[in-house]
Amino acid sequence: MADHGLYVYAVIRSGQPLPANTPAVGGPPAVPRILREGAIAAVVSDAPPQLRARRRDLLAHQELLLALSEDGPVLPMRFGVVAPDEQTLRGQLAEARTRHLATLEQLTGRVEFNVKAVAAQNALAALVREDPEIRKLRDDARHRPGYAADLRLGEAVAAALARRAAEAGTRVVRELTALAHAVVAGPDVQGCAVNASFLVDRDDAERFTATARQLALTHQERAELRVAGPLPCYSFVADQAPAPTAVM
Amino acid sequence: MTMTTTTYSDDVMCRPRAGTLYDVLELILDRGMVIDVFVRVSLVGIEILKIDARIVVASVDTYLRFAEACNRLDLERDSGSTTIPELLGGGVAKSVGKRKVKRAAESVGDTVRKAVGGGDDEDTEEETEEQEKPRRRAPARTSGTKRRRAEA
Repeated sequence: MADHGLYVYAVIRSGQPLPANTPAVGGPPAVPRILREGAIAAVVSDAPPQLRARRRDLLAHQELLLALSEDGPVLPMRFGVVAPDEQTLRGQLAEARTRHLATLEQLTGRVEFNVKAVAAQNALAALVREDPEIRKLRDDARHRPGYAADLRLGEAVAAALARRAAEAGTRVVRELTALAHAVVAGPDVQGCAVNASFLVDRDDAERFTATARQLALTHQERAELRVAGPLPCYSFVADQAPAPTAVM
Repeated sequence: MTMTTTTYSDDVMCRPRAGTLYDVLELILDRGMVIDVFVRVSLVGIEILKIDARIVVASVDTYLRFAEACNRLDLERDSGSTTIPELLGGGVAKSVGKRKVKRAAESVGDTVRKAVGGGDDEDTEEETEEQEKPRRRAPARTSGTKRRRAEA
């Protein structure tokens, strides 16, 4: 049946139900099911032929994980993990059972928030007002206009915008860390001065969001914050427990 | 100065549901558990996630645009209404808040379309939807000025 293998979404506790009406990857969408192996289980579906990172499939992956997260702790798989067959998957689950159960325990009642800082929308005027060096270069460019002067000014502006966003982002991460159990740096994203994920108690999610909103206002002339969450704990399922403050 | 405040509070978008893709694509593709012995779909060629058009690319062209915008700034009257997306060729931004959401949506479409290597399959529905929105990529050096004049 599963000619192309089993697409694996997540590892959960065996007792946890499959949410109703959730899409799976593939077109037409496959039907997700639970593969129980003792105390833990994998959420799987038949893998579609020629699986690629399509928008539709990425969304299906994400939606199913979000729905699963409502009912209990979830170890989200990275997008695109395919087991060759059921037997191999069962073997893997049995072998890693203790480790998976420990991580599930750690993530119980917790969610991930991702925070990115990019250069602020309205940063330019604030920068010129506040940065004496930029002001000087600007005056130079006005009094002695020319290509070289403009280039010096523009380069300094670009560097300053990036620096200010990074500084503000670092401060924001420091503040938000106080509300989190763990913090890890996210993968590098072009244009992002800061990219960090926080492990937060589900009960604290609102407080976290409210604090992030406040910080966004405080730093609005330096960085724009983009907060996503609550999310499945993508960043907190590594075998090793994440270092509590591994970001900066 | 105070006018921007509301815009910014809207900017902290916490989007836990569908549509989250844009801001968390790199987590879905780069984080999460992997099982070494299992096959993982090849992601070769995927150009992961570009945050809007606000990337400050280190190029002569960008520098000159920044310089131009800087020289144009009137600190007394103009409290920073030139936004970086405009500087970087984002076109006419009437409502930054709303536009940003739309732009974000477009970028996801873009990135993912690149990821799937062009729409040669059943994704046509999404494609059509995205292509209905005209893309504005033309350099928009003067759009900021025009906009302010129109509003004045």
